[in-house]
Amino acid sequence: MRIRHFCVFVLSLMFVSLASCGDSDSKDIAYPVISDTLTTASPVECDRFYRGETIHFHALFTDNVELGNFNIEVHNNFEHHSHGTSATDCELDPVKSATSKVWVYNESFSIPANSAAYDAYVDIPIPDDIDTGDYHFVVRVTDAAGWQFYKAFSVKILE
Amino acid sequence: MACRWLAVSCCYAVVLAMPSLCCAQSALPDSALRNVMLDDIFVYGQSSVEYQKDFSQTGTQIGQGFITDNLSSSLMQTLQAVPGVKASTIGSSQSKPIVRGLGLNRVVVTVDGVKHDGQQWADDHGLDIDQFSVDRAEVLKGPSALIAGSDAVGGLLRLYTNSLPVDTLEGKVSVFYRSNSDAVGLSGRVGGRYGRFFYKGGLTAVSYADYRVPADSITYNSYNIRLKNGRLRNTAGNEASAHLRLGYISRRLRSDVKISDSYSRSGFFANAHGLEVRLSSIDYDSHSRDIDLPCQTVNHLTLLSHTDYRFASGGSSLSVDAAWQNDFRRECSEAVSHGYMPKPQGTTEREFRKNNASLNAMFRMRLPHANELQAGVSGEFQHNRIGGWGFIIPDFEVLSAAVFASDKMDVTPHLSLNAGLRYDLSRVSIHSYRDWYKSPVGSGSPDSLYVERSQAMDGMFNALTWSAGVVYDNAGWILKANVGKGFRVPTAKELGCNGISYQLFRYEQGNSSLSPEVSYQLDASVIFQNKHLTVEIDPYVNYFPNYIYLNPTPDYIEGMQLYNYTQARVWRWGAEAQVAYSFCRFLEASVKGEYLYARQLSGSKKGYTLPFSTPWSAEAECKYKFGRRMDGFVAVNVRIVGDQDEIVPPELPTDGYWTLNASAGKAFRIKDYVLSANLRAENLLNRRYYDHTSYYRLIGVPEPGINVQAMLSFEF
Repeated sequence: MRIRHFCVFVLSLMFVSLASCGDSDSKDIAYPVISDTLTTASPVECDRFYRGETIHFHALFTDNVELGNFNIEVHNNFEHHSHGTSATDCELDPVKSATSKVWVYNESFSIPANSAAYDAYVDIPIPDDIDTGDYHFVVRVTDAAGWQFYKAFSVKILE
Repeated sequence: MACRWLAVSCCYAVVLAMPSLCCAQSALPDSALRNVMLDDIFVYGQSSVEYQKDFSQTGTQIGQGFITDNLSSSLMQTLQAVPGVKASTIGSSQSKPIVRGLGLNRVVVTVDGVKHDGQQWADDHGLDIDQFSVDRAEVLKGPSALIAGSDAVGGLLRLYTNSLPVDTLEGKVSVFYRSNSDAVGLSGRVGGRYGRFFYKGGLTAVSYADYRVPADSITYNSYNIRLKNGRLRNTAGNEASAHLRLGYISRRLRSDVKISDSYSRSGFFANAHGLEVRLSSIDYDSHSRDIDLPCQTVNHLTLLSHTDYRFASGGSSLSVDAAWQNDFRRECSEAVSHGYMPKPQGTTEREFRKNNASLNAMFRMRLPHANELQAGVSGEFQHNRIGGWGFIIPDFEVLSAAVFASDKMDVTPHLSLNAGLRYDLSRVSIHSYRDWYKSPVGSGSPDSLYVERSQAMDGMFNALTWSAGVVYDNAGWILKANVGKGFRVPTAKELGCNGISYQLFRYEQGNSSLSPEVSYQLDASVIFQNKHLTVEIDPYVNYFPNYIYLNPTPDYIEGMQLYNYTQARVWRWGAEAQVAYSFCRFLEASVKGEYLYARQLSGSKKGYTLPFSTPWSAEAECKYKFGRRMDGFVAVNVRIVGDQDEIVPPELPTDGYWTLNASAGKAFRIKDYVLSANLRAENLLNRRYYDHTSYYRLIGVPEPGINVQAMLSFEF
């Protein structure tokens, strides 16, 4: 009988501790956001640019707590792979292979500490000797907790 | 949340009601109970009293009947019926073990006493073991370093394929069909004994098509992926495995050698490789059984020898295991350029060729005062080579050795104590790896170089682990407590990786200063059994002073988010509970459940849980048995899984769900032969739900829809 009482006691303890273990800590479990509604955003899906001109990148990043950093990457889509963060289908050139003159752009930028919103402006000059054609323009942003959000735009670089 | 409270309250009510139920039964004399137990093992999960009394760690023994009754698409999905054990699934027919929320390199699988060594670190690589070859299994929960050394932090799954044949010719042939993936399978095993010699062999072949999910399309990253006929394109696969064992047995000596090979080729979901959405010109929908890119080929070859010798005096024995394993894995995908990497040649993205040689020797002897002493040595050499244009882990070698000793003492016929100590020493040698293409040195600089992704390093790791426990049994009760320390040598990936995982869109950075991960755990088991009732409750508390964690940071390297390996203090606790009641000879009911809580106590993710934490779950089953020999059954089962809001980046919260399942089976005896038919239906209501620990969860792929499995077996 004593064993039984002991067991009931142990089990009671166990379940009381289970029940008392509320989640009091507030953790950030939300992604940062790249605004969809910014009317002056650039680039937009299916944008066209010319060699030698400058892309005036503009985006609005927001987070529920604190933003981290952001990155801009441009790579070719000559073989029509897709990152598809957009449901729009842009008109693509015929499939071709990249030469050594293909454009690769990859830069990271920091966001001032304690920013919950940040208007990002970056001027990106397009070299004037690169392969023309379909490219992906990828924007990635993190928050301080390590959540990441990204958007990929299909753009065309013309002669 | 409300749902969790309800479940907890229900469990509590059951537990409180339990003592009154037991009252009448505990008056039975002890010896009568023992006999009942031995003759009729009706215990849920096949854990017999004798087995539970034998050692203090929380564990469950699983017989072949359990495997047949619960047979699912892969071994771990079959063993999921054991509380505290979960399968992390990769598509429809592959899975990895998770024991009490820990998986990958934190669970060890042994086959006939030898550590199964594949690519445990890889989350898209299933356990390459043929479930039809398993005679019995055992799950040990909690650190099992004393038996298995490094990696057995979360638990140990011991599989045995070595039961002895009795007749000169015996065997079993099974055919099965699974409706969800149109899987067809054939498995045959045969064995025989001629005097002191015996043999066993088996062949299994399975082919499955793309599996079906209850959805017309999948939305991932705002991209809408339409599915044809609800099939997840390119998830088909083929498996084949074979084994042969030859042995000798006499009164003192048993020695056998076994060769086994397990091969599989399977596709990965075509529209997303890892987290990356892919569009391809391949016509995936032309046939549901073809395997296009991306896909993987896995082959595991084992050569194993086991020898037991009983000495003439004192009940002493010596056992020696020697094994060689070769694990091959090739992952293929359509080549695309990424970052500074130009479009590579061929389709081999990654290739791993791992060889493993191991040797264990153990001596057992009985000492005065009812002591049973075990002592042994163990050694292992791992050799891993990589290929392909993608990089994720470097070439490496690991050489390890261990010595261990443990003692079990029966203090009284009802009380036994045990304690053990083990020392492990490992040397990890990691090779340098450089990109095969050049990247610019810095922005604006015209120079470029082959970036070094893994630095050569040599590391020595050692650990002293221990375990101690007590078992008390009386009047149908078994009380167990165990405290133990486990450890894990950091993997080559954790120590040495330094590069981009394009499938997961992240830059993973290893840390050569990691120390061996250590885990302390206190386990308890309270078991009550009588003729009608079985109750088992297994609570535990677990502390890691230095859990190795891949931490997502806010920083970018080479355009990818940086994830770096760090170590954090982690606190976990949880419990499994099960109650089974046999109303009469032909009707039994059971309820089982599990709950797990984990918190990081330090580091940049302080306050967060651990990755892929399993949510609470509960299962209720009602089983009706029929037939003159009680060899027929019909069972209905409801499985409830809670919400999982405890997440770390980049996971998504997962809603809870419930599924209705049913199974039935009947054995027919014809002379000396047994013909059995088994029917099993999973997710009968074709509900759409997500499994938090599934490989495809991150890209929003629901779990398989309704699946009906029919199996016919002929035993001779």
